[in-house]
Amino acid sequence: MAKMIDSILKYYLMKQIDHLETKIAFLSEYQPILIEGKKAILTSKLEKLAFKQKHQLLPYAIQAGKIDDYLKEAKAFEIKKVEEKFFWSHRALKQSLKRNQNQAAYDASLASITSKKDENIITIEAKYAASSNLQEAIQAYELVVSNQKNEFDQLKTRLEKNYDVFATNKKQLLETKLSKLNDKLQTTMKQFHRFKSADNQLESMIEPDTLLKLDNLSMHFGGLKAVDELSFSVKKGEIFGLIGPNGAGKTTVFNCITRFYKATSGQIYYRNHLNEPLNLNQFVVHNVIKEGIVRTFQNVELIWELPILENLLVAGHTLYRTGFIGQLFNSRRIKREEMIMRQKALKILSDLGLLAYQYSYPIGLPYGILKKIELARTLMVNPQLIILDEPAAGLNDAETNNLAHTIKKIRDDYQATIFLVEHDMGLVMEICDTVCAISFGKKLAIGTPKEIQSSKVVREAYLGGE
Amino acid sequence: MLYTVNRHLERKAKLHQVMHHPYFGFFVLGFLLLLVQIIRISGVNIPTTVLRGLGLTMIYIIIALGFSILLGYAGLASLGTAGFVGIGTYLIGYLTNAKGLSVSMILVIGFLGAIAIGTIVGFISLRIEGLYLGIITLGLSEILNEVFKNATAITNGTNGLLMNRIVLFGQYYQFNSNTIFIAIVFILIFVMILTLNIMKSPTGRAMLAMRNSESAAQAMGVSVLKYRLLAFIIATVYAFLGGILYMTYIGFSIPTTWNLAFSLFVLAAVIVGGSQSILGVVLGTFMIFGLDLAVFQQIPLFQENPAITFILNGVLIVVVVMFYPGGLARLITNLKYKITSLSKKLMKKWKAFKYGEDD
Repeated sequence: MAKMIDSILKYYLMKQIDHLETKIAFLSEYQPILIEGKKAILTSKLEKLAFKQKHQLLPYAIQAGKIDDYLKEAKAFEIKKVEEKFFWSHRALKQSLKRNQNQAAYDASLASITSKKDENIITIEAKYAASSNLQEAIQAYELVVSNQKNEFDQLKTRLEKNYDVFATNKKQLLETKLSKLNDKLQTTMKQFHRFKSADNQLESMIEPDTLLKLDNLSMHFGGLKAVDELSFSVKKGEIFGLIGPNGAGKTTVFNCITRFYKATSGQIYYRNHLNEPLNLNQFVVHNVIKEGIVRTFQNVELIWELPILENLLVAGHTLYRTGFIGQLFNSRRIKREEMIMRQKALKILSDLGLLAYQYSYPIGLPYGILKKIELARTLMVNPQLIILDEPAAGLNDAETNNLAHTIKKIRDDYQATIFLVEHDMGLVMEICDTVCAISFGKKLAIGTPKEIQSSKVVREAYLGGE
Repeated sequence: MLYTVNRHLERKAKLHQVMHHPYFGFFVLGFLLLLVQIIRISGVNIPTTVLRGLGLTMIYIIIALGFSILLGYAGLASLGTAGFVGIGTYLIGYLTNAKGLSVSMILVIGFLGAIAIGTIVGFISLRIEGLYLGIITLGLSEILNEVFKNATAITNGTNGLLMNRIVLFGQYYQFNSNTIFIAIVFILIFVMILTLNIMKSPTGRAMLAMRNSESAAQAMGVSVLKYRLLAFIIATVYAFLGGILYMTYIGFSIPTTWNLAFSLFVLAAVIVGGSQSILGVVLGTFMIFGLDLAVFQQIPLFQENPAITFILNGVLIVVVVMFYPGGLARLITNLKYKITSLSKKLMKKWKAFKYGEDD
């Protein structure tokens, strides 16, 4: 009974920690976007006022006889209208001349329309030239101009002041909120750790600078040993390559890490962004991403019924904090979250040079682009470990080079560790810091690319021994 | 003057904003349906069968909207719709006739009951997929139908259950079907807005992801259990709401109405219309139910030979499914595109005729 209560409490605390972590991530990451949004509102308000003032000014300007840019524009607009009318009627006349060959009628009607046009232009010019009580009108005009300027300046200073107050307040508020949340998180973590006293040995299982460690991992399908007592560790910030001949069990290793398969025996240790050691064997498939592990698939698995941008939004699914009821009534909070997520997705797309495809559907796009979109999708959740399953499969040489560049860029810009399986040895040897070779589920060799290239065992596995 | 020109442009932009608001179409549809009632009140004699047909079509649209989320978004085919709608009708019928409960109370009970039943069926769907799920839900629906026939204390058996009044604020009211028609219009608009919100929200996207590739969805943090249950709960709640509205509008429920054919008709309506668009569901439901109920039954030829309506409906379904697999929604967008391109072409030709070819 006590054990059951313990497990319930532990579950509750885990949920609480999860909740707090997402809240902190949300607040700290999106603070600048929120404040920028306020600035956009400010500029739009000022623009609106300027537009309104321009229209208010117009009648005064006409009365004052001021042929400023605005009046010139208006006059030119009317004259252009008249000329356009003349142009079309002249064209119609030419057409009828072509049909009827009646020169006299053509001349007569042409003369009539030209005279009409001239008359119209004269009246327009007279209308704009007419001015009475010039002195008073000019004074009134200038008064209005100065009034408007005052109004504009007042609004501007007020809004800027408001904005400054808003920005500083928001920053302070967010900072206090963040510190409070962090405190709360730490206290709950402490409580949680008390429960975890049994698991405290985890800390000794995984070294401080190691991100992922497989410890004697085995996966058996009936009699087939797809992965057999495999153990290696991935350091933080490196590009780790896993190679091996077909059927060596590379994808099975990935599926064990991301919990699609439950390993027969052996442990998988992992350090999350709070530097807390975890045993991945205790996780469910859809919770692995919350610890910062994302993966791509061997065959591109995009959502074909959604445009690219929304594909990225699906990848950010775990970051949304509005509940179902809020989504049902399209609350302000979900709108704001949606805006923020869209901004983030657009930033990632522009980083990877995919911005042109944001509204297009994945169907019909080239394979290289689809692979890149899958890569972009992994970046939505600020990943710690990106697992790439054959990223270069089906790409040509140019696309592969591009991909190598992109992977390096992701490692540097997003501070993520990359763990990949690949058959393209050129790519592996070019970008990887460490390479591990396996065959029939067993580790052959691990080391730098050069060491692997010169390894005899690996060569035998690929080419066959004597 | 420029001033007026700018004002005109501004007004045009505002109109554009209103016209392209996602909810605009729902309000237009609601207005059109209310117009029928306004015409009736102003003195024109509209046959009651037409009004009844339109009212029933609206109720079926609500049921089909829930089903479209289940089929088009979560990718789960269920044939149990009829049973769930039937439960809704008997729920309100029994509770008002025997217990005298008020409508708001019944709505709450129905809501909770729908959540419970949706959860049960959702758990079944975790193990079984595709056609097998259809068969299981069909079995469930048939069991419910047998229960309706035999639980005479509640459902009055094969004679059907009558309900001619409802309880509101502790008092009995005998409602005119026209007032309920107007209430249904507003409920329909509300339900459409909610459905659109679900479809465009992260929930809708997560369901689509699940339908496209379950493993990719799981890798992105979508819990299959949660969203399957949610899809079933939404569909069941909509079906219950449809049943409650049906009973208040028609006032009579008989087990033979809630048979397999009804479930299949809802399925057909969603597929013919286009399972991922609200416009499609509305058009599909109108084609499957509304045409027969509100239009064909007014024509003497069809009144004499009711079998013809079935044949005509069947031919229409075959034609749409053969030539427009995307449903009526796709047909409408295609037509829109064709009409605009044709009008552009015609304008060009007319100008060339009037003013001559370009030099």
